[in-house]
Amino acid sequence: MYYDFSAIVKYFPFFLPAAWMTIQVTVVGILLGVVLGLLTSFSRISENSLFNIPAKIYIYIIRGTPLLLQLLFIYFGLRSVFGFKAFTSATLGLGIHNGAYIAEIFRGAIQSIAVGQMEAARSLGMTYYKAMRRIILPQAFKRAIPPLGNQFIIALKDSSLASAITINELLLKSQQLASSNYRMMEMLTIAAMFYLFYTSIFTWLFNKIETKLAVSGSR
Amino acid sequence: MIKIRELEKWFGNLHVLKGINLDVNPREVVVIIGASGSGKSTLLRCINFLEKFQKGTVEIDGKVIEKNNEKMINEMRIHVGMVFQHFNLFPHMTVLQNVIEGPTQVKGIPKKDAIKMGRYYLEKVGLLEKENSYPSMLSGGQKQRVAIARALAMEPSVILFDEPTSALDPELVGEVLSVIKDLAKEGMTMVVVTHEMGFAREVADRVIYMDDGIIVEEGCPNKIFDEPKMQRTQDFLSQIW
Ligand SMILES: Nc1ncnc2c1ncn2[C@@H]1O[C@H](COP(=O)(O)OP(=O)(O)OP(=O)(O)O)[C@@H](O)[C@H]1O
Ligand SMILES: [Mg+2]
Repeated sequence: MYYDFSAIVKYFPFFLPAAWMTIQVTVVGILLGVVLGLLTSFSRISENSLFNIPAKIYIYIIRGTPLLLQLLFIYFGLRSVFGFKAFTSATLGLGIHNGAYIAEIFRGAIQSIAVGQMEAARSLGMTYYKAMRRIILPQAFKRAIPPLGNQFIIALKDSSLASAITINELLLKSQQLASSNYRMMEMLTIAAMFYLFYTSIFTWLFNKIETKLAVSGSR
Repeated sequence: MIKIRELEKWFGNLHVLKGINLDVNPREVVVIIGASGSGKSTLLRCINFLEKFQKGTVEIDGKVIEKNNEKMINEMRIHVGMVFQHFNLFPHMTVLQNVIEGPTQVKGIPKKDAIKMGRYYLEKVGLLEKENSYPSMLSGGQKQRVAIARALAMEPSVILFDEPTSALDPELVGEVLSVIKDLAKEGMTMVVVTHEMGFAREVADRVIYMDDGIIVEEGCPNKIFDEPKMQRTQDFLSQIW
């Protein structure tokens, strides 16, 4: 068995729909994750246990179980109830999964802002919510950017697990092609190239955002 | 202006303020001195309710502030400015934005007018040329002067200072103290916690000596510094001079 570079060139175009599927699942999952994460982080830091207890339970369950299990659970469990398609299950699963992690990222960022900031804002007569919106969150978002970038890259790679629920993304595509052309290493190489391409773009984008934010106001 | 009656404060089991009575009159400068841990900061923070206390009352401009009345507390804070030891400027805003944040967001003053006002107060603390800088680009002394301008821009009836120069390098203390002295001359009502005894003597109308959660002695600067009556005051002053 030798490594055939020409197979890479030959089969590369077959991966394009799968590459498109991977990015769709990832982006929709991340967007959902950010929205869920924001809401959850606010609930989590709320002093009202009506909000913070559900947030804690959600984070506890998601962080304590494997993503693959969560995807299968939604796909097989909720499909029968709500009639979810595979794509809906995958994005929902990734979104819910990432929401828990992103909530903790936002919470960490909010709590890393010195208490003096809140006190200074309140001493001007601002309400808690106004102080959050005007003073704490803008600073917290900035601090959340690097760990968020990290989480987005993890989400991209995690999207490969959606192959287990029939999503025809990069990894599943490589397996399908390899089973007929027996070029496993080459097909995996193509998939790897796409993942590296995507992670490079994510990294570049986040560095760009970081430097841009660093210029407008510091620390 | 400020009337504090029988104020008591606990942090858990720690009894930090043990029955404070204090009046601050309009145009008066009250300086609070005392050893570390005696409760000076806590007292100051109880005045604008950054700290909740268990017993006693704080009356501001004739109104007893209700501790569960958020609206009343926010309204009161418009009239009670505060300057912190560590400045607490908003790092994501320019100097001018810091100064107009309160007037525009809390008092609802139109931005154009707030900018005019903000510049006036920045000029007053000698930092108009820094209006577009971010706090991270300023020295400690400049930061604290911006913080003072931020408090002034709310046009409060009293300003509380909690050790405004303690975080500064020695060579930067003077510029901040001179701004506070100017305010005193103009008749600004102020309550100042400080370890700068020379400054206390110069600027104070009345000096309060606190120890272990009580006001041990109060009086005009000459009385407290030159002929303190209480043994504890004498001991404290002999230690720091
Ligand atoms: N948030 C808090 N929780 C628990 N204890 C506190 C808290 N803040 C202050 N204390 C305690 O209350 C006491 C009074 O503190 P406070 O900060 O008012 O003293 P201070 O006179 O301002 O001292 P310093 O000169 O060091 O600033 C100290 O024993 C301190 O440890
Ligand atoms: Mg203190």
